[in-house]
Amino acid sequence: MPTASIVVPAYNAEATLAETLTSLQAQTYDDFEIIIVDDGSQDATARIARAHLGDPRVRLVQQANRGLAGARNTGIAAARGTFIGFCDADDLWMPEKLAAHIHHLKAEPDVGVSYSGSALIDEAGCTMGIKQAPRLKDVTAAHVLNRNPIGNGSAAVVRKTVLEALAYRPSFETERDWVFDETFRQSEDIECWMRLMLSTDWQIEGVPGLLTHYRIKAGGLSAALDRQLEAWERMVAKLRPLNPEFFARHELSARAYQLRYLARRAITNLDRDTAWELFARSVQESLRPVLEEPLKSSSTFAAALVLKTLGPGPITRLGQMKTKLQSI
Amino acid sequence: MAQKKVLHLVDDTTAGGVMRILDHLLVQSELSGAVEQKVLRVKRTAFSWGKLNADVIVSHVVPSWRSLAAFSALRAMHLDTRLVHVEHSYTRAFTTLNVPHKRRFFAMLRVIYAFFDQVVAVSQSQLDWMKERRLAASEKLTVIPPAVDLEQLSRKTVPPKSKTTIGAIGRLERQKGFDILIRGFRSTHIPEARLLIFGEGSQRLHLEELAKGDPRIEFRGHAEDPADAYQAVDIVAIPSRWEAYGLVLDEALAAGRAVIASKVDGLSDREGDARVSFCEQDSASWRSAIHECLRPVIAATSN
Repeated sequence: MPTASIVVPAYNAEATLAETLTSLQAQTYDDFEIIIVDDGSQDATARIARAHLGDPRVRLVQQANRGLAGARNTGIAAARGTFIGFCDADDLWMPEKLAAHIHHLKAEPDVGVSYSGSALIDEAGCTMGIKQAPRLKDVTAAHVLNRNPIGNGSAAVVRKTVLEALAYRPSFETERDWVFDETFRQSEDIECWMRLMLSTDWQIEGVPGLLTHYRIKAGGLSAALDRQLEAWERMVAKLRPLNPEFFARHELSARAYQLRYLARRAITNLDRDTAWELFARSVQESLRPVLEEPLKSSSTFAAALVLKTLGPGPITRLGQMKTKLQSI
Repeated sequence: MAQKKVLHLVDDTTAGGVMRILDHLLVQSELSGAVEQKVLRVKRTAFSWGKLNADVIVSHVVPSWRSLAAFSALRAMHLDTRLVHVEHSYTRAFTTLNVPHKRRFFAMLRVIYAFFDQVVAVSQSQLDWMKERRLAASEKLTVIPPAVDLEQLSRKTVPPKSKTTIGAIGRLERQKGFDILIRGFRSTHIPEARLLIFGEGSQRLHLEELAKGDPRIEFRGHAEDPADAYQAVDIVAIPSRWEAYGLVLDEALAAGRAVIASKVDGLSDREGDARVSFCEQDSASWRSAIHECLRPVIAATSN
């Protein structure tokens, strides 16, 4: 049995899958398996995956499309490792990533999820000079709800026992358990990690370094931001009964953080009205983000204001503006 | 041979249930020849509890960072005395719901448990949790379920007459989860059903607010004699959010009542007992559990 399993959910990922797999095969920690879950792709994903099966550590599971959460769940069900990592089929792991997390989890028995920061890369795979550098220590449920430190789907390595504690089987499911909630098409990560924080006694903790290269796709529509907000609200509504007192205390500020995050996404999309509206709603919801992170809030405000009054020109021209909008 | 001296340490925060367990332990006649037992009240936040004269010291004090000094002084001043700690408070569900910084909390428990020669869990589930979290070396850990006098209760109660009155008995505090029960009960719409709530506590107003407008729910206050409370109900509901052991379950069974309990911590140790049905800690599960329990009655009346 391998010590670790890396689950790679892949849907129409022909452009990036090979690069992702190469980065995983190059891990310095060598006792692991890679489980590619082809989630009903219509492109060359399966062919590219098969080309890697010459490496005995690589396995391929194929299924009719179930979405990202469904692909991860299938990967978890197939995984044999004591530690299970996730890497989406367009992201990259730095060579020392798995080693760092396995070392961390073995040294810290109270930690159930080990994660790291990420560097953002563009579609061509070039680093954008933007990073996700989350809080690493003393992470509470409130931190996760406000500013999920497990910033993307390729950041975490999790103990199998933790995933078992989170697993459940909806009455209509006939094949295997769910860990990630497959009814979510967005916010499936934060739903899972918040459920972990509210329903188990595991601690989560990060290791230093930007050990994931997380790919940002250009564009993105305002409709997608709306759906993201909707999914976030559904996550809150679903989890509130687990600890109503917790949500009573933290929900407003968390929503303000979420709205500010979406406002920043709208700014990068140069969507003037959406950006302004989301930022205004964030401030109406709670001033906590402004008080806790005044620089980030004021740069968001400035950018949204410039975009609103002067249009996209200055934003696109001013490269330094982009630097200020780092770590979205 | 001289009698061994056993000293039990309790503090102001020690729950009423723990005091009843001690009262019961102190009157065990088969122990009285072999050991001399005493109870000493201590201040949890004191710097030290002083030099104590005993062969065995049993702590029932709730561990916390603020009591660390006293626990460490206890060990330092009684190097040759057997020290036993009984963990009445902390469980997996307690930690999940109440502890934001779990690692620090576990570190505190490990430090304090390390001062003791033996750490007693009050239920198997609690022991499993202590082992999984490596709170103490496994050879130090044992399970001793608490006991109280249940004979009086079974003598004073007769089998329930009806089958539609549900009772919740305990302190009106968040731990006990009566809010979950009230929400679940309200959504049942069974006219014959009743919910009687016995006990007092800081959540009384909040719970009354939740029950407002449903005449089937009644608050009866604290029952001087628990037998009266058990006699007044047919089914006992235990919707606790956490519960290291759950004496109320033993009492309900001694009174010959059926039980619905949340599947949590020490309560879940009783899984397999046909008199107890279990449900999850949300109102929807309680609603269906209540329906399930009252179904034969509803079927009979509608025929």
